[in-house]
Amino acid sequence: MSAILQVIGLRKRFGGIVVADDITLGLRPGEVVGLIGPNGAGKTSLFNLITGVIRPDSGTIMMDGVRIDTLRLSERAQMGIARTWQHARSFPSLTLLDNLLLGARDYPGDSLLRTLLQPGISRRMEAEAEQRAMQLLERVRLAHKAHDLASDLSYGQQKLLGMARALMSEGACLLLDEPMAAVEGRTYAIMREVIEQEAHRGQAVCIVEHNVGFIRDLCSRGVFMAAGKVLADGPVDELMKMKDLTALYFGAAA
Amino acid sequence: MEYLLTLAILAALSAVLAIGLNLVLGYGGLLSVAHPIFYGLGAYASALLTMQANVPIPLAIVLAALGCAAASVPLALCSLRVSGDYFVIVSLGFQLAVLQIINNLEITGASGGLSRIPTFAHGSDRNLICLGVLLVAVAATLVLVRTLVQSPFGRALTAMRNDEEALSALGRDPVRMKISIFALSAGIAGFAGGLYAHIFQFLTPSQFGIETSTALLTMVVVGGTATIWGPLVGALLMTCVPQAIQFLDLPQAIGGPIQGMIFSVLVLIFLFLRPQGLMGGSRGGGGLDAWSGRRPGRSSRRPDVIVERLAEEVGS
Repeated sequence: MSAILQVIGLRKRFGGIVVADDITLGLRPGEVVGLIGPNGAGKTSLFNLITGVIRPDSGTIMMDGVRIDTLRLSERAQMGIARTWQHARSFPSLTLLDNLLLGARDYPGDSLLRTLLQPGISRRMEAEAEQRAMQLLERVRLAHKAHDLASDLSYGQQKLLGMARALMSEGACLLLDEPMAAVEGRTYAIMREVIEQEAHRGQAVCIVEHNVGFIRDLCSRGVFMAAGKVLADGPVDELMKMKDLTALYFGAAA
Repeated sequence: MEYLLTLAILAALSAVLAIGLNLVLGYGGLLSVAHPIFYGLGAYASALLTMQANVPIPLAIVLAALGCAAASVPLALCSLRVSGDYFVIVSLGFQLAVLQIINNLEITGASGGLSRIPTFAHGSDRNLICLGVLLVAVAATLVLVRTLVQSPFGRALTAMRNDEEALSALGRDPVRMKISIFALSAGIAGFAGGLYAHIFQFLTPSQFGIETSTALLTMVVVGGTATIWGPLVGALLMTCVPQAIQFLDLPQAIGGPIQGMIFSVLVLIFLFLRPQGLMGGSRGGGGLDAWSGRRPGRSSRRPDVIVERLAEEVGS
C-alpha cells in the first residue's frame, strides 16, 4: 500500500545544529512505525516539522498526495495529522470532556458568528462530538472523570487524556511522542491496547519511544535516527541486530 | 438630579467599554491599551457621518461600529507577531498614531474638536432618555459577552490561554480567534463611541488618550478580568470614586493628580493582593483560569480528590 504521509528530502538547521538532514520517510495506513535513536537525534523535531510547529528549510511533506509543508499547524491538523506531546499538554483549567471536545474535526466554536447566530446547529454539533468524546474516554478508562478538571489527573492519566484528545479528529495519521515515558502498569496496558486498535482501524501510527521492549512488541517497522539523519529503516528485529546502531544508541560503552 | 443622571450616563458608557475590553484582556489574554482609540474612532465616524453625509443617527452608529471592527484588524495582526509587554507597546503606538491623525485633520476639527453634533434625545427628559438607551446597551453587551464566553468559542478561548500551540495542533485556529475577539471588542467600543458623540454632542481628541486607557484597565483589573460582572462593577466604582473626591473641595492643583494616583494605587493593590479582582473566584487567579461555560464536577482543592490523585500517582 502507498504511503499516506510522505516526507521527502526534509532539511532543518538551527544555527550550527542540524535537526533534519535530508530525511525521507513514508508512513502507510495500518502500520505502526517506531522512531528510535539517541537523545538529540531529531525525533521530536521531525514530529514538529511534520505537524508544522517548526518550518523546514527545504524539502517536501505530502499528506494523501497534497503538499502540506506551507500550511499552518491548525490547517495540517485539519488535514488529518494528529499528535500527542511528550508532556501531555492537556488544558488544565478545562474538564476532561472539554479537553476532548476541542479536538473535534468540526468544532462549532471555530466561527464566532456561527456560535452567536446559529446556536441550534452549534448545539447539535456539540452533542455529536460529546458522544464520541465519551466513547473515547471510555476507551482510555477515564469516563468516570469526564467532568473533573484535567489538572486533577495523575501524570499517566494526563497522557491517556492526550491520547484520547488526539483521536477526536478521526485523523489518518497519528504521531505519538513518547507515550510510554514514565507510564507503567494499567496505564501502559490501556495505551498499548488503544494504539493497536488504531493501527487495526487503518491509522498510520508513528511512535517516538525509548522503551525498546515496547517498540519490539508493537512496531512492525523501525526507523533509526541519529544527528538528524535516518540511518536505518526496516523490520524492528533486523534493526536490533545491527551492532553499530546499538553502539550509537547506548553510547560508546556499548 | 441632573448631575446624578450625567454620572450614571458616564458610568454606563464606561461599563460598555470595560465589558468589551475584558473580552480581549481577560478572555483573550491579550494586553491591549488601545481600546479608547476605537471608542474615539466610533465617536468621530458616527458624528461625521451624520454631520457631513446626513446619515440617520442609528445607522451612523452601526456603521461606525462596523468600521471600528474593521480598523482593529491591523492591531490584531500585530498581536500575532508580538505578545506580552511588547504588544502593550505596539498597541500604545497604534493608539497614539491614530490620535495624532485625528488631532491634525481638518475634517475632525483638529485639536479644537467637533461641536454641534446632532442628538437623538431632545426636550426636558433628554438625560433620562439617554440613560435608558445606555442601560439597554449595557445589558445587551453583557448578554453578548456572556453568551460568547460560555459557548464553544469561549471554551476554545480558555484553551488558548492554557496552551496555544496544543490548541492549534487540534485543528483550532488561534489566529482567527484573536482577530474575531479584537473585531468584536472594537466594534462594541465603536458603538459606545457613537452613543457618546450623539449624547454629549462635543468631541475632542484628548478624551481618547492614555488617561482613558488607564481608567479602563483599572476598571477591568479591579472588577475582575475574565469575569462576567467584574468590568461592570469596576466601571461603576471607577466612575463614582473620582467624583466623590471632588466633593472634598480640594484645590484644582491637587484634585487632578490625586485621581491619577488613586487609579494607580488601586491597580497595584489589586494586582498584589487580589489579582482575580472583586468578582473573581476565591481561588487565586480563578477568574482568569476557569472556563465559565461548565463548572467542574469536583474541585481540585477537595482533600479527597487530592488523596485519590496521589494514590493513583503511586499506584499506576
